[in-house]
Amino acid sequence: MLSIKNLHASVEGEEILKGINLEIKAGEVHAIMGPNGSGKSTLSQVLAGNETFEVTEGEITLNGENLLDLETEERAREGIFLAFQYPVEIPGVSNLQFLRTAVNAMRTHRGEPEMNAAEFMKLAREVSKQVDLDPAFLKRGVNEGFSGGEKKRNEILQALLLQPKLAILDETDSGLDIDALQVVSKGVNALRAEDRAILMVTHYQRLLNYIVPDYVHVLAGGRIVKSGGRELALELEERGYGWLGVKDEEATPSAAS
Amino acid sequence: MKPAPTLSSAFLEPGGHSLPAPLLELRKQRGTALVDMPLPTRKTENWKYSSRHLKLTDGLAASLPATGKDGLSLSLPGYRVVFRNGVMVPEASDFPDLDGILIQRFGDLDDNDAAALAERLDNTLDTRAVQMARLNSARFEDGLYIRLDKEAVLDQPLFIVHEVTGTASGSAYPRIYVDAARHSQITLVEEYLSSGDEPVMVNSVTEFMLADGANVTSVRLVMEGENVQHIGATGVRQAANSRFESHCVGFGGPLRRHDLMVRLEGEGGECKLNGVVVTQGKQHYDNHTSIEHVAAHCDSEETYRNIAAGESHAVFNGRIHIHEDAQKSNANMNNKNLLLSTGAEIDTKPELEIYADDVKCAHGATIGQLDKISLFYLVSRGIGRREANTLLTMAFINELVEQIPVQAVKDAAQLRLNEFFDQTFQEA
Repeated sequence: MLSIKNLHASVEGEEILKGINLEIKAGEVHAIMGPNGSGKSTLSQVLAGNETFEVTEGEITLNGENLLDLETEERAREGIFLAFQYPVEIPGVSNLQFLRTAVNAMRTHRGEPEMNAAEFMKLAREVSKQVDLDPAFLKRGVNEGFSGGEKKRNEILQALLLQPKLAILDETDSGLDIDALQVVSKGVNALRAEDRAILMVTHYQRLLNYIVPDYVHVLAGGRIVKSGGRELALELEERGYGWLGVKDEEATPSAAS
Repeated sequence: MKPAPTLSSAFLEPGGHSLPAPLLELRKQRGTALVDMPLPTRKTENWKYSSRHLKLTDGLAASLPATGKDGLSLSLPGYRVVFRNGVMVPEASDFPDLDGILIQRFGDLDDNDAAALAERLDNTLDTRAVQMARLNSARFEDGLYIRLDKEAVLDQPLFIVHEVTGTASGSAYPRIYVDAARHSQITLVEEYLSSGDEPVMVNSVTEFMLADGANVTSVRLVMEGENVQHIGATGVRQAANSRFESHCVGFGGPLRRHDLMVRLEGEGGECKLNGVVVTQGKQHYDNHTSIEHVAAHCDSEETYRNIAAGESHAVFNGRIHIHEDAQKSNANMNNKNLLLSTGAEIDTKPELEIYADDVKCAHGATIGQLDKISLFYLVSRGIGRREANTLLTMAFINELVEQIPVQAVKDAAQLRLNEFFDQTFQEA
């Protein structure tokens, strides 16, 4: 489904990604782990099409289509979804209006009729319950005054509404207490499907106790330095990144949970 | 040194529409005083950004002809009074005769009412500060006098439509005077429209006199065309415990100027002034507001938002003057500005003069662009650029549009805003 070949990307002239290779097939769940500053978030942002990052070399294809030729909104309509590490607050735009506009943009793209306000309200209420978010949040400004956990649940709510082909979760576990983590994980697990892939970017292993990945990759210094199965995450929890020749001064995975 | 430009004598000839004697007399006096009136220049502080857009050619001096209702398409709900080229069109107007409420065009006033009005005209405005309003007083040909007796309540908004027809070049001088006695209530909508494309100047003056406990809501929608210069003034005087609320929504033109002057003269008075201005192309819009806290224990709250696209220019000058005896004044002023292009310009100046020592005063002004991260967030959900930009721009003014208490005005403003968004934002 997603194929990344020799991807190089830089921001303000500084190269962050230095040759990423990654293949993700439909139905798979991949986790990318790595210390702070390794390029995890950059990879997520580049996949979603953030223009702050410049792709200098390499290619990304989604089901054979060159992703780098597409604008952010076109990528989204082709099925890329990024759950933001720091969801943006937009006062003055109601969450409901935002969600409905997004869902209808997708529907229009697929040649389906738009949902009217009443239909959408019904759907949004149902999905809100799935992520344990009070439907009252639909009426508020986008993420406005939401707690960290509420923002993350709002991201998963969007993923459930938009039904992407590839969901990228950027540090979706950060800042969550254990209850919120369980709710969010339940939402993510509900996304798992044969025709959908999930890419989780995380600093910590604990999320992987709730969302069990098929593959784990270690990103360090802008490259994937090690790939393995679920057991790699456990090994990282036990041994840290040091044995891979990777420094992580801020925190070791095991110290985090 | 070049002599300062003065008002051309061609502007001192009012049109021939009939008015009661006391008003004719007043107009004549005001005209005499205008001979050699200096016009604002770049060095006139309150016109420094706008004087070069003021083009008072002799071609604009002629009064626009009074016309009938031909070509007017009005679908406004409720009570309405229609003026064309500054003169009322009775066939297009529709309002009831209510106990305790006089709604009458100047031309139809009896001698007593005309004399009473002549005494009042100009008494809410400091015409030294709002010098262009003096031209209106020398030129008005008709107008609307609204007088509410004590405790009278107008049960629906009154729409006053001022249309100018640009089939020939000239000027129009809309005039409204509202006398609101104790505890009376009214919501009044002024809507400024135009047709045709010959150059036209509109010089409008609206005055509100609020007695104790009166409650007046004023809505002002300025939507004339690219051929129209509009210089408007609104004067407000508030007695004790009165409440005045103003909602101005304006779209740009070659020149749009509005002076809004409020005097809080009795204790417990309250005013709330909201404003939304949208400009594009080479348009120019200048809002000058002044709130005078003359009496103690009054509250004022002012919120203005400018959105400038293209190479347009918006100006906001907000003055708050707290007089020495106005203790316990509470004044809040906020002006936020959004630049949608690198060629647009916005100038904002809060002016606070505080002579009392026990007051609460806050002001804030910001100028910014649409937030790139917010935009990325929206498009990353599949929302198109045009729609995402529109959502973010609407978010900037939503709060003010939502507060407009008349649905028909909200709808009209939203339609015009949608045109603006279509013209301003493109898909990637």
